[in-house]
Amino acid sequence: MDFQTDKEHSLLMSMYASFAEEEVKPLAKEVDEEERFPVETVEKMARYGMLGIPIPKEFGGAGGDNLGYVMAVEAMSKVCGTTGVILSAHTSLCAAPIYEFGTPEQKQKYLPALAKGEKLGAFGLTEPNAGTDAAGQQTTAELKGDHYVLNGSKLFITNAGYADVYVIFAMTDKSKGTRGISAFIVEKEMPGFSIGKKEEKMGIRGSATCELIFENVKVPAANLLGAEGKGFGIAMKTLDGGRIGIAAQALGLAQGAIDETVAYVKERKQFGKSLAQFQNTQFQLADMQAKTDAARLLVYKAACCKDAKLPYSVEAATAKLFASETAMEVTTKAVQLHGGYGYTREYPVERMMRDAKITEIYEGTSEVQRMVISANMLK
Amino acid sequence: MNISDYRGVMVFAEQRRGSVQKIAYELLGVGRRIADTLQEPLVALLIGSKLPDSAAKELIAQGADKVIVVDDPALDVYMTEPYAKAMTKAIDTYKPGIVFTGATTIGRDLAPRVSARVKTGLTADCTGLEIEDGTRNLLMTRPAFGGNIMATIVCPEHRPQMSTVRAGVMRKLERDETRKGTVERLDVKIEAKDKNVEILEVVVEKATKKNIEDANVLISGGRGMGNLDNYNRLQGIADELGGLVSASRAVVDAGWVGQDKQVGQTGKTVRPDVYFACGISGMIQHIAGMEDSEFIVAINKNASAPIFEYADIGIVADINKVVPALVEELKAAKAAS
Ligand SMILES: Cc1cc2nc3c(=O)[nH]c(=O)nc-3n(C[C@H](O)[C@H](O)[C@H](O)COP(=O)(O)OP(=O)(O)OC[C@H]3O[C@@H](n4cnc5c(N)ncnc54)[C@H](O)[C@@H]3O)c2cc1C
Ligand SMILES: Cc1cc2nc3c(=O)[nH]c(=O)nc-3n(C[C@H](O)[C@H](O)[C@H](O)COP(=O)(O)OP(=O)(O)OC[C@H]3O[C@@H](n4cnc5c(N)ncnc54)[C@H](O)[C@@H]3O)c2cc1C
Repeated sequence: MDFQTDKEHSLLMSMYASFAEEEVKPLAKEVDEEERFPVETVEKMARYGMLGIPIPKEFGGAGGDNLGYVMAVEAMSKVCGTTGVILSAHTSLCAAPIYEFGTPEQKQKYLPALAKGEKLGAFGLTEPNAGTDAAGQQTTAELKGDHYVLNGSKLFITNAGYADVYVIFAMTDKSKGTRGISAFIVEKEMPGFSIGKKEEKMGIRGSATCELIFENVKVPAANLLGAEGKGFGIAMKTLDGGRIGIAAQALGLAQGAIDETVAYVKERKQFGKSLAQFQNTQFQLADMQAKTDAARLLVYKAACCKDAKLPYSVEAATAKLFASETAMEVTTKAVQLHGGYGYTREYPVERMMRDAKITEIYEGTSEVQRMVISANMLK
Repeated sequence: MNISDYRGVMVFAEQRRGSVQKIAYELLGVGRRIADTLQEPLVALLIGSKLPDSAAKELIAQGADKVIVVDDPALDVYMTEPYAKAMTKAIDTYKPGIVFTGATTIGRDLAPRVSARVKTGLTADCTGLEIEDGTRNLLMTRPAFGGNIMATIVCPEHRPQMSTVRAGVMRKLERDETRKGTVERLDVKIEAKDKNVEILEVVVEKATKKNIEDANVLISGGRGMGNLDNYNRLQGIADELGGLVSASRAVVDAGWVGQDKQVGQTGKTVRPDVYFACGISGMIQHIAGMEDSEFIVAINKNASAPIFEYADIGIVADINKVVPALVEELKAAKAAS
């Protein structure tokens, strides 16, 4: 067992940290307040090779590993939760399933542009009637000659509108239930595919979350991802990976809030002392850091399991559950330690608190993670 | 109180500016049935000022055996105190076993005042009225708790048994000019002190913008309408049926109508008698706002759209072909009747 960060990852971490500090942090407040998708940040991430970190070099990626990738998500999220999820949805939910389940032709066609960040990716599974019960898919795909015809809609899709490539799930055979779901690679330009309303959210407000609408969208049969009827399995495996990304986002939010708080309590004085001199402050900070460090070990462990090609679905669920609930708790405490100032938008901790809540909900709610963990314990 | 002293059914014949309101005839419809069951008389109580003779005649043609007219200048415009005094006197004088008032703004104001004065029970907003076999008591049924349960209420030991009756639920009779009845005048002394309110002005406002929550018929369009022009054609159905046009969120998002027309979880909750879902898939967020409609008609070209699980009538068809055909049919049906 080795808990030391090796030289390569240490270097990556410092690179991500300086990118976050210089490029992402200055925009974070504006992106949140204006609910603006940070296009310029995405372009810069592409230039630094951050949009294809775990994708092999032969497909245009950085040829890194999942550990390096989650470190990047963590670093962005420390300063901007929005940027963290843009990166995570693109990498884990779109590029990864194409890499893992795509045919050689599909990989050739889609991966290089995604990995180089020339194109952005998204993942469409959730529907108005199918959230946690993802099997309740109502979007249909009908094979007609050399193409499928997609009809239906998707809800709450991260990166919608800005993404060029979408991994979409639809029913090819309703009678077969979850075995009737198939996955497709859908391009933004395909006729009949449109983007619906952008949701107005509590947090991660710069990230675009919209509805996707499919009206007789013709998708070439060659864009079927995996075999017909294998879509549900693909979605579940993709989400296993995605959960490590969201866990890293939560981790970043927690650490970011701690960093802000530490700086603040040293400066602020009451009763002739800095807040940092009150024992309550010290103990709160200790609890916050201890939990965050525990979350970090879980997140890194899940990523390492994936890198080592070991089973990682329970590890990912555990990491996401713990990291997201830690982020919620830590950011709430961070606001408290800032006092009235923490409640104003002058300071970033209220934004972090708003951003943290979603990590307990998307890519499977905390309840779903508990189901995954306990099912494994009781099997 | 000797219950057996009280006989007959009395109906409050609400009038506004001399013209008897439709609700009065609906009350006579249900009153006739109850009076016949009891084999007791049906009387209409008409209160107002300078009431035309034709009003009393019409009440007889619509089912009353007797019309009691209280005509006094002080009763010109509805006012709680003078009307309550007149009605209380009519009850004291004629001792009806049952009194019906419409559940209109006037009826809802008047009936509780009167019931408190004559010390009897009142059931508000009834939708069902029957005589109980054996006891001859009136069974008054009304929706309670927002319509989730139906309560049947009796008033066994006091008379009259009073109830306000929801408009539009009871049917009026076929009018019959040959029907015989008597008209009696009742004098009620309205004193200055009874006019404890001063009415400055009566404003008759034309209902300009109706809320979709209040409509009895709603024609709701969804994304399946395709475009704004098609969506606007739904107004044709609404015009024929006297309803309003509403929408799913998809239509609101597209900017075709304002948010005040949105039905659903984050829009309005509606409960019309008839709800048309046109080109609406029936996502749960939409269903949550309309599933309590009395009757749901769904038109969708996709036979497996979830909306059909909620529909009383489902039509699998292109909505844009159905709309003109439906408007034609409705026009023809109207012309024929
Ligand atoms: C900002 C944002 C971005 C998103 N991005 C994407 C995306 O890119 N792609 C995508 O496909 N989806 C995306 N989603 C959808 C997200 O994954 C779902 O919202 C989430 O999975 C929960 O589903 P739901 O909202 O339908 O909640 P529901 O399934 O209705 O759940 C409501 C509550 O009930 C609980 N619950 C449900 N079933 C059970 C059960 N059996 N036992 C115990 N508790 C239960 C849930 O845990 C939750 O607390 C996004 C959502 C948001 C808000
Ligand atoms: C936070 C939130 C709150 C929401 N609140 C609401 C709400 O209050 N109300 C609401 O309605 N929605 C709400 N929604 C949206 C909801 O989830 C659905 O997206 C929406 O109801 C879909 O609208 P629709 O049925 O018009 O469109 P679609 O789901 O796209 O359905 C269109 C239907 O039309 C049919 N169709 C297409 N062409 C034709 C044709 N020519 N003839 C006949 N049929 C045709 C199709 O088969 C399809 O079934 C909410 C969503 C979110 C995220």
